[in-house]
Amino acid sequence: MHEFSRASQIVEAVLGEAEKQHAVKVIEVELDIGDLTFLGIEQVRFSYEILTDKTIAKNSKLKINQIPGRGRCDSCGYDGQLSYLDDEQFHIIVPTFNCPQCGNPLSISAGRECVIKRIRIRK
Amino acid sequence: MTQIVQSEPGEIFDIELDENLKRANDLIAEENRKQLQKHGIRAIDVMGSVGAGKTSLIEQLVRLLKPRYRIAAFKGDLTSKIDYERIESLGIQAVQINTGRECHLDANLVKKALLKLDLTALDLLFIENVGNLICPADFPLGSDKRIVVISVTEGPYMVVKHPFIFADADVAVINKIDLARPMDVDTDKLAGDVRNINARTSVVLTNCRTGEGVKQVAAALGIDSAS
Repeated sequence: MHEFSRASQIVEAVLGEAEKQHAVKVIEVELDIGDLTFLGIEQVRFSYEILTDKTIAKNSKLKINQIPGRGRCDSCGYDGQLSYLDDEQFHIIVPTFNCPQCGNPLSISAGRECVIKRIRIRK
Repeated sequence: MTQIVQSEPGEIFDIELDENLKRANDLIAEENRKQLQKHGIRAIDVMGSVGAGKTSLIEQLVRLLKPRYRIAAFKGDLTSKIDYERIESLGIQAVQINTGRECHLDANLVKKALLKLDLTALDLLFIENVGNLICPADFPLGSDKRIVVISVTEGPYMVVKHPFIFADADVAVINKIDLARPMDVDTDKLAGDVRNINARTSVVLTNCRTGEGVKQVAAALGIDSAS
């Protein structure tokens, strides 16, 4: 959910920076989007296209890095990706926030990002 | 800024931004947290599905804890004041937050609502979010603890279908347990589903119409209810 309002935020930030840099065109925008956010990537792309239509970012390329969920375990020292419970009977894939090694709760260290990493502009 | 050599006219530059889009809400949530801590107020998010029993749970918790604590409640809803009036009639400070069409509360709305309370005369604050198991998870408000309420009348798959909201939940409440048999829902399985997702979450079974289980909810939140 909220792909459109996040895309609005992205476009506003990008155009703001482009203006600051006196750009004539925005060519590319690179984003980090965590797997644990609720953003549908295709919807973000679609919203971005609509929102940049009459701007200098029209037709700019949107490069999206999908960041997998990672966690750290204070009990056993595990530091790695989250595991998933695969409930085959219902084709439901459920992420678990417990340590895959010892079962204790993890501190989530990655996967919740929503960051504009970089923009490429032409002056 | 890195300059890139290109053959087309005009100079092309890469600009490293590292702009975190969640930062705005996270900063205000931190502000809210500090404000509440400054006044020694424990704030509890109450999230959950539509009709799960969030307001009923708050009503029961207020009845249980009012003799010992000074309590206030925020009620987040799209447009109506139906639930707000239920809470207000309990005789506590209550603030209605109408989100319009927004499907979740955010830290800014809570910040504005805090201005309407007398923070010097409060021990506990319940923040009831809009009925929604998806969006509130992404918008921290600045509270100490988070409760997620679901009920047996939603069927057996509510937990596995909404794993992310349980990632930050301190307490999961499974309500309407008196209807588990007619619904043919296994509450042990639901509780197990929660624990498989997050071992840190305490699970409490309740009937918020009769008050069954509410003392255990208070205990799970670390609130002493003995009078």
